[in-house]
Amino acid sequence: MQQANPVMAAYAPPFKIIVKYFAAAVIDFVILNFLLLINYEDISGFYFQPKILAITHMLTLGWISMTIFGAMFQLVPVVLEVKLFSEKLAEIQFWIFLLGMIGLTTGFWNFNTGLHLNASAVLLNIAILIFAVNMAGTFIHVKKWNITGWYLIAALIYLIITAVAGLLLTYNLWHPYISINHLQYLKLHAEVAVIGWVTMVVMGVSYKLIPMFTLSHGYSMSSGKWAFWLVNIGLVGINTFFHFENSITPILVSTLFIAAGIACFLFQVYLIYKNRLRKKRDIGIKYSVFSFYMLGFVTLFGSVFSFTDLSRIPNVYLIFGYLVLYGYLSMLIVGQMYKIVPFLTWYHKYSSKVGLEPVPMLKDMFNEKYALTGYYLMAAAIIATTASFIFNSQVALLFSFGLMFLGSLIFTFNMAVIFRK
Amino acid sequence: MISNEKVLELLKGVIDPEIGLDIISLGLVYNVEVTEDLINITMTLTTPGCPMHSSITEWVKNILWQAAPDKNAIVNLVWEPRWTPDLMSDEAKKALGI
Repeated sequence: MQQANPVMAAYAPPFKIIVKYFAAAVIDFVILNFLLLINYEDISGFYFQPKILAITHMLTLGWISMTIFGAMFQLVPVVLEVKLFSEKLAEIQFWIFLLGMIGLTTGFWNFNTGLHLNASAVLLNIAILIFAVNMAGTFIHVKKWNITGWYLIAALIYLIITAVAGLLLTYNLWHPYISINHLQYLKLHAEVAVIGWVTMVVMGVSYKLIPMFTLSHGYSMSSGKWAFWLVNIGLVGINTFFHFENSITPILVSTLFIAAGIACFLFQVYLIYKNRLRKKRDIGIKYSVFSFYMLGFVTLFGSVFSFTDLSRIPNVYLIFGYLVLYGYLSMLIVGQMYKIVPFLTWYHKYSSKVGLEPVPMLKDMFNEKYALTGYYLMAAAIIATTASFIFNSQVALLFSFGLMFLGSLIFTFNMAVIFRK
Repeated sequence: MISNEKVLELLKGVIDPEIGLDIISLGLVYNVEVTEDLINITMTLTTPGCPMHSSITEWVKNILWQAAPDKNAIVNLVWEPRWTPDLMSDEAKKALGI
């Protein structure tokens, strides 16, 4: 006699809502690559420019954060063995966040810094608050905490700080009130976003997913724990000292704490990777390996940048931002999506058919050859874009953005194939 | 009555879709016990907190129910003793390149 398994029902990922987040993220990624391509002439010089601010937020909110929200709705229930507090809230959050993201992007694009930009920032804050409530409601039911859980809680706190700082910054553009430099607060906002929110999630989730994908066993986790404390101490420092003028030394010390923490994280990833049983590197792992090398590089770059004046390098801010957002984060997201989206769809469509009829393997869910072509295109685009910035060549930049756009089209095609399987 | 061997053979049909190998070759099934009205399976998974967690145990039940609808299939998911790669069959090790 067959019995319903209560565990299964409880932790099953809410497929429809996750797909919505992932689909929005992928579509956003293609659009923003297209926008970069057709506006390549405006992408140079200092970063505080309408189109650059607009595209950066399309990338951080629409692509990176949308993906993380979807991934957390998928992973938190299984990793922490708990039911998602509310699918309804996840749905409401999606629409408010999407509206806020579009509003903020168009607001920056036209540099409409009044009500338009501010109302959008308020919408984003509401959406993020809803997410925080949903996560908190989920977390309180967790019975067995693990290291991934701690990272996710920290990430959530930094997400809220990022959102509030963002809102205060947009308000300052409307009615200036910040007594110290606007750009100093912008730096706080950006660092807390990328290190506190995004990288905290990346770290915590990596400790769970990489061993699973590579079948790794028998390694020590102490480096991963060190990473948690070092990065958090550094972030608390950043969050404190950025409120004062002339606090270069304490900010530098905080930055070094963060760099040391990321080094510990990368060492932990190396340990997991070294102990892997599956020697063959599939497409998801290839992308991830590229991303982790890039994380090492930007950490070094950022540390040097924080106490050396590199402004003599042309477009140095754009190079740094591009390498963080594309080299490290976008490559990682694409790689992880090639792992988790096939699983998500497979689970939804075939899980109930196992043993009853033949079902495909995960690797049969998309065309790995196309994916590999996409990988080479994106990797080439990242190197070429960096070179174009360094040599200040607009023609080369156009070509490089073209490569990335093509790469993103292949990725989108493969994602569509998986969803339709 | 369905034999232990038959049960093991059936469980070879439960394949981890990520790894592409079945749960017997992976060494995830620790014990099979068939009684008058029960089939008791004691098994583990490669990683605690694996998203396949619930589905794999569900598939085991499905497949056994198909073959022996008159028996109640029970799956005990255990984490001790912990799974290690040594439990894999030689073919499985070869397939993974170990």
